[in-house]
Amino acid sequence: MPYEALDFYDVDSLLTEEERMVRDMVRDFVDKEVIPKIEHACRDGVFPDEWRVALGEMMVLGAPLKGYGCPGLSYTAYGVICRELERGDSGLRSFASVQGSLAMYPIWDFGSEEQKEYYLPKMASGEWIGCFGLTEPDYGSNPGDMITKAEDMGDHYLLNGAKMWITNGTIAQVAIVWAKLDGVIRGFIVEKDDPGFSAPEMKGKHSLKASVTSELVFQDCKIPKNRILPGVKGLRGPFSCLNNARFGISWGAVGAAQACFDSSKNYALSRIQFTHPIASYQLVQNKLSWMLREITKAQLLAYHLGQKKDAGTWMPEHISLAKMNNVDIALEIARVARDIHGANGILDEYCIMRHMANLESVKTYEGTHDIHNLILGRHITGIQAFTRDL
Amino acid sequence: MNIAVLLKQVPDTTAKISVSGGRVDENSVSKWSMSPYDEYALEAALKLKEAGGGNVVAISAGPSRCEKLLRDAAAVGADDLVHIMNDDINNLDSTQLQKLLAAAISKSNSSIVLCGKQAADTNSGSTGPGVAEILGASCMTMVSEVTKDGEDYLATRPSSSGHEKVAVSAPCVFAFDKGVTEMRRPNVRGIMMAKKKEIEIWSAADLDVDLGNSNVTINSHSPPPEKPPGQKFEGADSVSTVVAKLRDEANVI
Ligand SMILES: Cc1cc2nc3c(=O)[nH]c(=O)nc-3n(C[C@H](O)[C@H](O)[C@H](O)COP(=O)(O)OP(=O)(O)OC[C@H]3O[C@@H](n4cnc5c(N)ncnc54)[C@H](O)[C@@H]3O)c2cc1C
Repeated sequence: MPYEALDFYDVDSLLTEEERMVRDMVRDFVDKEVIPKIEHACRDGVFPDEWRVALGEMMVLGAPLKGYGCPGLSYTAYGVICRELERGDSGLRSFASVQGSLAMYPIWDFGSEEQKEYYLPKMASGEWIGCFGLTEPDYGSNPGDMITKAEDMGDHYLLNGAKMWITNGTIAQVAIVWAKLDGVIRGFIVEKDDPGFSAPEMKGKHSLKASVTSELVFQDCKIPKNRILPGVKGLRGPFSCLNNARFGISWGAVGAAQACFDSSKNYALSRIQFTHPIASYQLVQNKLSWMLREITKAQLLAYHLGQKKDAGTWMPEHISLAKMNNVDIALEIARVARDIHGANGILDEYCIMRHMANLESVKTYEGTHDIHNLILGRHITGIQAFTRDL
Repeated sequence: MNIAVLLKQVPDTTAKISVSGGRVDENSVSKWSMSPYDEYALEAALKLKEAGGGNVVAISAGPSRCEKLLRDAAAVGADDLVHIMNDDINNLDSTQLQKLLAAAISKSNSSIVLCGKQAADTNSGSTGPGVAEILGASCMTMVSEVTKDGEDYLATRPSSSGHEKVAVSAPCVFAFDKGVTEMRRPNVRGIMMAKKKEIEIWSAADLDVDLGNSNVTINSHSPPPEKPPGQKFEGADSVSTVVAKLRDEANVI
């Protein structure tokens, strides 16, 4: 059964012709090269290298950045790319989010001219993979208290500390690492072969199985002086990267939800119980129409946020709302889809359980669901509720 | 010299087709796509260009919706785009349509022409040979691959013993069966360039074509008959009936 993307309000008709062509390109890639391989990749716990090559060839890595080998598409187009990739798998979208928004973007925005010229073209083409090291074993939601530190040794920097849960870590040639230099958070570019740096893979995930997750370990890791990102100090650095990645996730979640809806609709129409298709029963119809309702709202949120991002009229809180809502409904839709599929819903013959398990990670990373609630709460009340020191 | 590719926009193979008032209802077609054999022709044209130069001229006849098809062709590498604008393409007979295409091919300065062996909607298979006839060009059908061989071309097509490679010189029309390579996927740069590309819009008058009258009219379309319902057999007693049906009706054993 070919995939039919639910678009009840014809929201995609608001896209430009170019954005629709990009959509069709990525959708075709996912149909032909991702869907047939994804379950295998999950069982083996690998990110297929040919996807890296294809993403580079399509030029969708760092798509909204301009110059240095990047095409400068709209942020709306970037959202569409994320949506189509995540319809395939959240792990695939994670790869692209990390590469474009978390690794390329900080070099593009805060890097020196030499850094941009050296790293960005290789990363846009997919030749080099990047990762983003912010989270530490003991500091997730409050990265400001991180302990990884950098020391200025005159002719080089010395990094010490550890990062955890780092997407792409083991397969990356470049790591953007956030560490404290004299107590101030700074960004550093660490390369795979730098002495004192290792990136062991974390095994045993039940979620995002086709995505590589790693620790980054720095033991007197020595890096040249020209590897600091000169353009930013403090949490603004990592947070501006996260804004872009979260924006993409708010679209991506819609893709995962669309995949679950599509499978549920087809399944409900073909599954006969008590001599009739289960789609003919009101309880099942209620579930399907609830999915349609939430997906349509999420599409409108994502689209309008894209317009605001492109117009430059967005606030981080706008992104928090969309990331939180869209991942939340996608996860709930995956759960209801699992229910509609009955026992079949647990098999990897269907995409459902995979999306459901993936979305558990997506709910947590890039600011947990509740951290986004707190961001919105602070916006509404003017009172931060992250810690007790008011 | 240029390489012309004839591209037809047809209802996507996954689109539901409905017939109303004895005609396919075009407005209900949810998705239009490039006819699949044309995709192989376009890919082969791009390969020929990469090997031996010349511009790839994508030519499509049809209403304004065909612009999308031409932009898709540009996104994968077609250099020039020609739209033979005709809102009523379904009421032209094959000869009228071939006259338009042949005139556009001549005007585009192309010495070889690639097209699909048949379109996915009408399946009539007359375009390639018909255009060749008007142009006074050779015609090779059921082609799966074309390569340049000095000044000539070498086409691969099926033969009774497998495949044959046939040498032919321009002008020639190659009508493609399933080719050896699927059409390439575009990339973002191609898409961005496609958006800016000028499309030449030519009418019959621009092409100096006197369409004359249609010799053929389609009286009506009708949807294929509904599939008969499946048959159900239960119990060991039915084995011989099922075997007989599989042998005599389904011809599978
Ligand atoms: C698959 C995967 C990939 C990842 N990739 C990356 C990556 O590439 N780079 C990177 O830097 N990080 C990455 N992460 C880490 C991710 O960003 C963190 O897991 C996330 O920020 C949450 O941190 P934590 O897991 O330490 O949870 P915690 O911060 O310990 O949170 C645990 C729970 O407590 C709640 N909580 C925390 N603080 C408060 C509060 N003040 N008030 C109320 N509730 C609170 C949270 O909402 C959550 O429910 C990844 C994580 C996963 C699972």
